[in-house]
Amino acid sequence: MSTTNTQKATPMKRLLPIATAAALMFSVAAQAAAPGITGTGATGTFNLVASPANINQPDGNQVYSWGYGCTVATAAAATFVPSPIANANCSTMQIPGPTLIVTEGTTVVVNLTNNLPTSAGNTSILFPGFNVTSTTGAVGLLTHEAAPGGTVTYTFTASTPGTRAYYSGTQGDLQVEMGLYGAIIVLPKTVPATCTTGLAAANRRVEVAHGESDFRLSQAAYDHPDTCYDREYLFQFSEMDLNIHRAALAQVTAKGACAAGAVGCSLEVPTEPYHPGYYLINGRSMPDDMDPNYDGVYPHQPYNGNPHMHPGELTLLRVIGQGRWEHPFHEHANHVRILARDGNPIISSSTTPLTYGASTGATTVAGQALAGLLMFTTDTFPGQSFDGIFYFTGRGLNWDLYAHNPNSTDPNALLACNADANGYNTGTAAAEAAINYYEWCQDHNKPLEANPLGDVPGGGPMTLPNPNIFANGAWYGGSPYLGPDATVRADSTLPAANGNGGLSSGCIANGVSATSVTCSNLQPSNTQANPPNERGIAFMWHSHNEREITTNNVFPGGMLMMMLVDSREFLIDESQ
Amino acid sequence: MFNTRGWLALALLSAFAVPAMAQSFRVQCPSSTITHPDANGTGVNNAEPAYLGPTTFTTSTTGSYQVPSANVNGAIKCQQISGGDGYATMADGHQTFLFSFGPLSGLANIAAGNPNGAFDAGTGAVPPNVFNTVFPGNPVPGDPATTNGALDNGSTYSAGTLGGFTYNGAVGLAIDADCVAANNAAITAGSPTLPCPNTPTSGPYLGLDGHVDPRQIMDVGVMNGNIPAPLITMDEDDEFFLTLTNVGMIMRPDLFEQHTVHFHGYPNASAFYDGVPDASVAINIGGSFTYYYLAPDAGTYFWHCHITPPEHLQMGMVGQLYVRARQNRVPSGTNLYSARVSQDNDLRTACKSTSDILCSHNLPLTNGVVSATGNGVARAATGNYVYNDGDGSTYYDVEYPLQIHGFDPNFHFVGMTFNPEAFADMKDKYFLLNGRSYPDTVNNGPMVTQSSDTQVHYSQPLASVINIPAGQRALLRIADLDVSEYQTLASLGIRMQVVGYNAKLLRDQAGNNTGYFTNSITLGGGESLDVILDTCLVRSNPADPSSACSAPLPAGSVYFLYTPQLDHLSNDAENFGGLMAEVHVN
Repeated sequence: MSTTNTQKATPMKRLLPIATAAALMFSVAAQAAAPGITGTGATGTFNLVASPANINQPDGNQVYSWGYGCTVATAAAATFVPSPIANANCSTMQIPGPTLIVTEGTTVVVNLTNNLPTSAGNTSILFPGFNVTSTTGAVGLLTHEAAPGGTVTYTFTASTPGTRAYYSGTQGDLQVEMGLYGAIIVLPKTVPATCTTGLAAANRRVEVAHGESDFRLSQAAYDHPDTCYDREYLFQFSEMDLNIHRAALAQVTAKGACAAGAVGCSLEVPTEPYHPGYYLINGRSMPDDMDPNYDGVYPHQPYNGNPHMHPGELTLLRVIGQGRWEHPFHEHANHVRILARDGNPIISSSTTPLTYGASTGATTVAGQALAGLLMFTTDTFPGQSFDGIFYFTGRGLNWDLYAHNPNSTDPNALLACNADANGYNTGTAAAEAAINYYEWCQDHNKPLEANPLGDVPGGGPMTLPNPNIFANGAWYGGSPYLGPDATVRADSTLPAANGNGGLSSGCIANGVSATSVTCSNLQPSNTQANPPNERGIAFMWHSHNEREITTNNVFPGGMLMMMLVDSREFLIDESQ
Repeated sequence: MFNTRGWLALALLSAFAVPAMAQSFRVQCPSSTITHPDANGTGVNNAEPAYLGPTTFTTSTTGSYQVPSANVNGAIKCQQISGGDGYATMADGHQTFLFSFGPLSGLANIAAGNPNGAFDAGTGAVPPNVFNTVFPGNPVPGDPATTNGALDNGSTYSAGTLGGFTYNGAVGLAIDADCVAANNAAITAGSPTLPCPNTPTSGPYLGLDGHVDPRQIMDVGVMNGNIPAPLITMDEDDEFFLTLTNVGMIMRPDLFEQHTVHFHGYPNASAFYDGVPDASVAINIGGSFTYYYLAPDAGTYFWHCHITPPEHLQMGMVGQLYVRARQNRVPSGTNLYSARVSQDNDLRTACKSTSDILCSHNLPLTNGVVSATGNGVARAATGNYVYNDGDGSTYYDVEYPLQIHGFDPNFHFVGMTFNPEAFADMKDKYFLLNGRSYPDTVNNGPMVTQSSDTQVHYSQPLASVINIPAGQRALLRIADLDVSEYQTLASLGIRMQVVGYNAKLLRDQAGNNTGYFTNSITLGGGESLDVILDTCLVRSNPADPSSACSAPLPAGSVYFLYTPQLDHLSNDAENFGGLMAEVHVN
């Protein structure tokens, strides 16, 4: 009975830092946004193709798949949003398909050309939630189809905002499994004033002050005053059964360039029993999903899953269940308010409107009360999408997340916290310029630790254990606190011989560099994933069918991402 | 644990020694904190004060942070658990290996279980005056089962006599002789401050600084894993200290496995205390890590290990956790609406729809409109509320946590025997309610399993008999921790009222209650909800579920909770078992 089996948990866990380090070696900062393409012309016209290609898995497998992509001409002329996103491109095949981004009211025209192998037969696209007309192409069961080598045109009006799925309507059990799915995002035509004034405007000002570009597609998810957001991400969940893809490749190869429509020029790939080994977020398994958008290592998997946010930022999650299984997608660190499903806002039965915006200093706007669920595990269902709002502030922690310390000499440890109507440090120029913007003021200066080693407040309830008896995670910042300044103060201390042993003796406070030899520095060293200039606090967002956070029986993998709440000291750059 | 003199004085000690880091096993349970001060050691934090309004604050002169000036709410609760392994018995008799958490505090409470839906029953979370007590003598391996005379040796099975073992404190807690010596030296020297906790000057706090005797911990903690893992309960406004002590997994000497505790669903959680090893730290074998949280908003959460989740959750490291609403602590007869309004005066406990998109217990409408006085329902003389509803709509008389889980026997065998784990092939064959399958779910009292070390353990302490006095309401705090599929639980005969979902009151932003009636609920792994079973057909005030019942269901009736996923009504190859339990109207 060998104990060197590579599928055992422990060796895999030891490989995690190495695997992660390898994946992130060339991409220290990789965030996400919701990238895609806008249509060309005054109407939203998209010229798509369906093509075969191999996609990459972290176990090294190249999996034969099908996906939607752009024609060469379309790719050359495409407008990639949000801008700027580095290396944006649209190849002839990608999984998920290109995210189509249009504005409410636009007439959308999608021309789909079928470049799949002739034995694959027709293909098509369904746009659930829209009233689609099609007069070209072959007549299929659910919609018009593109014959091998042929084209079909779909026309519809993007009548209401929201996030919706699109996917093949032909032989869906095989074609969707093979990767023919994507997302279409409709942005609201008018953005409510609550989302461009008051705190919403202040949040944007603070980002600008720290050098962060605006990577949002809009400022509100719907024309509703309580659907404002500061940051957005799109996550599409799916599974893959390698056996199906292998069988498809074998049959496609065997049939060769058979004449379309001829007897025998078709595929008979069994799609049951269904036994997936790959679980994907935006077409990639962990840790690949955390590499940048449009990373050249995954030419046919352009989108990533690597969410970041600052405390207090409202984050819009656009989530779609592609594939055939439901997944309990669990977001650590807070609940999500479901705004809508399949682009349908969930609104209270009470017709009396609420007045939004007063507490955030915004132009007030009346709107019907929201009624969507608050969920800490947001189920994804096949073909269904939801839009939800998430945020993190640290409210109620009962200790100062920023480790402010009135006994320090570090200016960042001495920042003030002036509570707004909701208890957060906003509303003044000083707050907007400070790295503790949006701090929860009730816990300002409140200590966690009883007798800290470093320059953080003491007298708190906790004694942290000796670092020798615990293991550091790859995303561990090095302390309970948020941000590089707080972490260095918490983890650095001058030795007692210098007369500064014990409390409040951090190197920074004494004007000594944290990297100098006289400074005892307990910061973890092997942290490419959460480097010294970031020191965010990390939370796992993953499928809670824990079996699905594996890649082909190996943990970690699958439907897993790390979400980072970053200090304002760190520039969240979603261009990557 | 450190009074205000103590920690200042301990700072002096720290100049000579790394403070409180010398020992790897240790527990932490202060009796006085900034949030719950008790400078004079009166023991005020050992019980919940009535809720008369939100806490008011003033700024501390020493630290420039907010300290309570009046209305200190909540108390302190502490708990110790072991992370290790254990054995449980499935309903077909099969003994199954577990990775599991076991109790190292509240052992007597946990063995007693929760037969009648009592509040705060069967939990290892206890106040400091209980936690900080030294076991008289030495506990023995298998305790409390061994002391109670439990037997499981092939020819004889007995759960023993409950009540023989009465200790609920932190296993292993021991007087720190160095601490006492330091105090005595300080007293001799006439020092005004004592370096070690010494409040009161005699009694249980003398020389207790969290120091533990590792032998007691190992004797009791090794292979004492429970399924579900020990219940965590607390009240809103409490501070909670959970010490996780990693005793190692004796059946897997090849694994140097860490363990963590993830508090699932906590809003605005701290990454450091979130229990995700990749994001934080994880405790090695031979060490203790104390988690600290101010209780989150009221609701039904749960907890579990987050090391290699596909493995550790399947193997059984899953527990229940719930937070009771502060509305329970308002004096009987208080108008619930005005009590709820007063919570909005503290920004931490406030909930206003137009200010916070992630809160749900906003002020309720009365007959569809805003009313300054609410629906007039007052806090009942008995019973509790699931949430701070402000209208009494979540009232219940008895409560039962119900954990849904599934075991793959092949995976558990592999987990014991050094074999490769096929995560993709994972398929549950045992379907568990509170760690047992039918008919074990309806056998009152703890179940005994003898482990491979020949010691008996109460590894499955919780039956799932829902006892409801006729005419009363039972709260089922249901959580699903399955790692591979969704599970459905149905109620035959008594409809389910879902009042909360994912630890949030079902209410829209306008103030309409959006709870609903159903005959079944479906949960995926990582999800929870609150169901009320009402055994009353007619109440004197339909708007007040605590009002008198004129038409109760007949006493002596037995109803069933079961799964309509009929393949889950099995114990592996045995037909008719699995996810089923009974509701007894008494």
